[in-house]
Amino acid sequence: MSGPLGLSWRLLRGGGRRGLLGAGLTAVAVAVSTALLIFSVSANVAFQGRAEREAWRNPVAVGTAAVAVQAVHKDYVRDRTVTVVDLAVLKPGAAPPPGLDRLPAPGEVWFSPALAELARELPAGELAGRFPEKVAGTVGDEALVHPGELVAVRGQAPDSPIMTAAVAGDPRDGFPPTRVADFTGAPSPDAQAYQALALIATVLMAVPLLVFGGAAARLTVARRDQRLAALRLVGATPGQVVTMTVAEAMITAAAGAVAGTVLYGLLTPLLAGIEIGGGAWFAADLWPGVPYTLAVLGAVPLLVGLSAVVGLRRVVVSPLGVARRETPPAMRFVRIVALLAVLAVVPTLGAGSAAGVVAVVLGLAFLAINLAGPWVVGVIGRITAGTARGPARLLAGRRLVDDPKAAWRTVSGVAMTGFVAGFIGFLSPASDLLGDADPATLRVTVPAAQASRFTAEARERLTAAGVPARVEVTGKGEDKLLTVEVGRTAGDGGTESGGGSATGKPAAEKAATGKPTGEETVAEKSAGPGTGRADEAVIDRARTALDGLVPGRTATSAADEERFGVLLLKDVGTGTVVVLTVSFLVAVVSAGITAASSILDRRQTYALLRLAGTPLEVLNRARRAETLVPLAVMGGGSIVIGMFCAVPFSISSVNVGGMTILLICVTLGFAGVIGAGAASAPLLRSVTADPAPRPD
Amino acid sequence: MTNVVLEGFDLVKRFGSTVALDGVGLAVGRGEAVAIMGPSGSGKSTLLHCLAGITRPDTGEVRLLGQRVDAMGERQRSALRRTRFGFVFQFGQLLPELPAEENVALPLMLGGVSRGEAVRRARGWFGPLGLGGMEGRRPGELSGGQAQRVAIARALVTRPAVVFADEPTGALDQTTGHDTMRLLVEATRGNDASLVVVTHDPQVARWCDRTVEVRDGRVLPGTGRGMAAGPYSGHDVQGHSGHDVQGRPGHDGPGSLTRILPGGNG
Ligand SMILES: Nc1ncnc2c1ncn2[C@@H]1O[C@H](COP(=O)(O)OP(=O)(O)O)[C@@H](O)[C@H]1O
Ligand SMILES: [Mg+2]
Repeated sequence: MSGPLGLSWRLLRGGGRRGLLGAGLTAVAVAVSTALLIFSVSANVAFQGRAEREAWRNPVAVGTAAVAVQAVHKDYVRDRTVTVVDLAVLKPGAAPPPGLDRLPAPGEVWFSPALAELARELPAGELAGRFPEKVAGTVGDEALVHPGELVAVRGQAPDSPIMTAAVAGDPRDGFPPTRVADFTGAPSPDAQAYQALALIATVLMAVPLLVFGGAAARLTVARRDQRLAALRLVGATPGQVVTMTVAEAMITAAAGAVAGTVLYGLLTPLLAGIEIGGGAWFAADLWPGVPYTLAVLGAVPLLVGLSAVVGLRRVVVSPLGVARRETPPAMRFVRIVALLAVLAVVPTLGAGSAAGVVAVVLGLAFLAINLAGPWVVGVIGRITAGTARGPARLLAGRRLVDDPKAAWRTVSGVAMTGFVAGFIGFLSPASDLLGDADPATLRVTVPAAQASRFTAEARERLTAAGVPARVEVTGKGEDKLLTVEVGRTAGDGGTESGGGSATGKPAAEKAATGKPTGEETVAEKSAGPGTGRADEAVIDRARTALDGLVPGRTATSAADEERFGVLLLKDVGTGTVVVLTVSFLVAVVSAGITAASSILDRRQTYALLRLAGTPLEVLNRARRAETLVPLAVMGGGSIVIGMFCAVPFSISSVNVGGMTILLICVTLGFAGVIGAGAASAPLLRSVTADPAPRPD
Repeated sequence: MTNVVLEGFDLVKRFGSTVALDGVGLAVGRGEAVAIMGPSGSGKSTLLHCLAGITRPDTGEVRLLGQRVDAMGERQRSALRRTRFGFVFQFGQLLPELPAEENVALPLMLGGVSRGEAVRRARGWFGPLGLGGMEGRRPGELSGGQAQRVAIARALVTRPAVVFADEPTGALDQTTGHDTMRLLVEATRGNDASLVVVTHDPQVARWCDRTVEVRDGRVLPGTGRGMAAGPYSGHDVQGHSGHDVQGRPGHDGPGSLTRILPGGNG
């Protein structure tokens, strides 16, 4: 190495132990940022992957040139969903669907690995009995949303009842037989919704990360300020100074970025275990691919270098600017105006706004908070210094006024988390909205004309399977509802169908309000919310018995039908926890690193103060106040702003669950920052322990 | 020896294999100004640190008014430095974000004086030290000489028994350095405080009552304590004897600064 690059390398190494410690802190900060940044990028890639792998199960109809007929329906076992795809080949020689090695012939079935395992585990009467076909293979990972997904692909004859049944329905429940030209399909609206949510989560995670990374870069520069000013004084050209510093910052950042990538790789198995959409992830899902990885690896050092240039401008413009500390110009009020302007846009948004627009506005709100932060910190500092009685508060207040940006860097992470927490806490729907629907009453729609035939066959099948149940038909018009109350004996109530049962009231409720039957079976006792394993088994036996009763239709319970909603709520909860965890990691790491590096920056003054008898407690108390006062104001303010931004999207009123998350957030935020600050107390002790501090 | 304020006996201090102090003894009388001279690396700073309770000597004793300083714990020594000693370093002791008057008031506030009272007392030092009008300036807005005078005010504001100064004018040009040095000597003397100052400048040493020469961790014969000429007289005494300065205990403002030089805004 030669020229400025070699010189900066020597500068980096020649900085001594403390200098290396400083560079190390920067590298750690960059590594953490990089790992989390890759994670937030991967999340998008991962959801996109899921959407693509699921697309083939959403057939797109064609008028002519059809090569196959494809029907999809959802079935249920225990508390899980089975996706059943029926295929009838019209033109042999077409490319098989993803995950299958060949086109299925009638009478063959392919199981996903998880379904194959479950079919082996459960008694045949509960699951395997629904698939009497010959198992011809395993559905490959490229056709599965997640590793634990239950999928069956069956071959059918084109004229089989299931391929000709005219079932209309919600695409969430499946697709009626559809003539397709190939097995490409289309991404489902749900999968696209998940991708949109992932994008918003990425913004919520990435913006604080970038802010944090930039702050880390400025740390390097801050420590080099004096040395560089000296270099300027001895005649280095501005170009040389800039090249050297930027090279130094970028060397550090590149090392940090590589370490962060490795760290992310090590974390992947852990992250792949996060369950979203009913299952965990393939390890490959969380690998963002070479282009994205290279982009992050290249962008991070570049951003850090850019940030360093910005931080350096002062030194280059005036060699004396750094050596002589003067009263900094007051922060401009424009910063607040920017925030207000962004907030003024928020009410124009609504649940109908495009995800991209929402993401941009959220990102802008973030940046605006970040702009307004230092201004507010300056005001807080003036108030703190003005009202201070003791030395610690006075020191803290003056320091806030002196360098509000530095103080802001320490708390910005938590303030950003406050924003996220406020936003999500206000948005997350109440968790008790769903979840106690009746799981024991199976319903299936039947044509009115064949209602009695289906009723009789259902009774027959259930009796053969040994499932106690009461079967009845309700409803008027073309379609009637065949209702099977699992757990009631066939003789109980008979066929006399009361109008009141059209809504499918839970059996237990009926038993409580109606006349005592005197035939309390085990199943009936626990047909309520607290369904035990035995009852699940009985319900699955009933499902298996009823499978294929009405071609193309599945008998489902109310609990089955709200399963998707329950899952969605669970996923929102999981997403919240993930985003908040990331924000917190960033916040606490950034608080710790800025605290440590501010000690390194001011070590001489601290050391001399200590020599002159200033108790370390006073210095530590001042450092704590310097963090906590702006944290309280800005953290609280950000939460309020986050809530404000969530108002246009909120479906329900504020709920206990969301508020609990918020409260936990606030507590963890304060504890984390206090902890991070306290963790640097030994560093303060050690840098001030040197009895002969020399300017270096 | 009732007039002895601070005394070090047989001080030995090693850093690894380096012997920084090799059995040094030194006594400082009440109101006396002692200059410590010697080549770089001879142990001057280490001696000053031992006397000031910053560093503990490996062996030997340090007594302040008969009290063992070297035997105290860190907390006690820290309190002692805060209340009984004042410090002036080469540079960097002022907090850059605090206005000059608050830098001076800080030691008082650390001692429990209310903020208003501390700032009021601190302001009293600015005029006599030729710093009138500089109260609200921040260290970055002061010249090197002005900043050192603020540091002198800071060191004296608690009315310490001894002021320690380690090359306090090392970062200043000669004229400014001399002006500042004379101010330091006069101000400590006027406030009945003793002064221990490390310096390279023989001219500076001349303003002190006596000079102690340090070489390789030892005090040169004829200087330090226990000299034939008397316990508190060294060579190069320049007329001012610390013994005749009238202390004015109880007052809280600056003492008499009869010889403050005008100008000196280096
Ligand atoms: N903290 C320390 N660690 C190691 N060696 C030290 C330390 N402080 C001083 N020394 C050594 O002790 C000797 C005396 O140092 P010092 O008292 O600073 O000299 P002076 O102030 O006279 O220049 C020198 O050799 C110096 O290198
Ligand atoms: Mg020295």
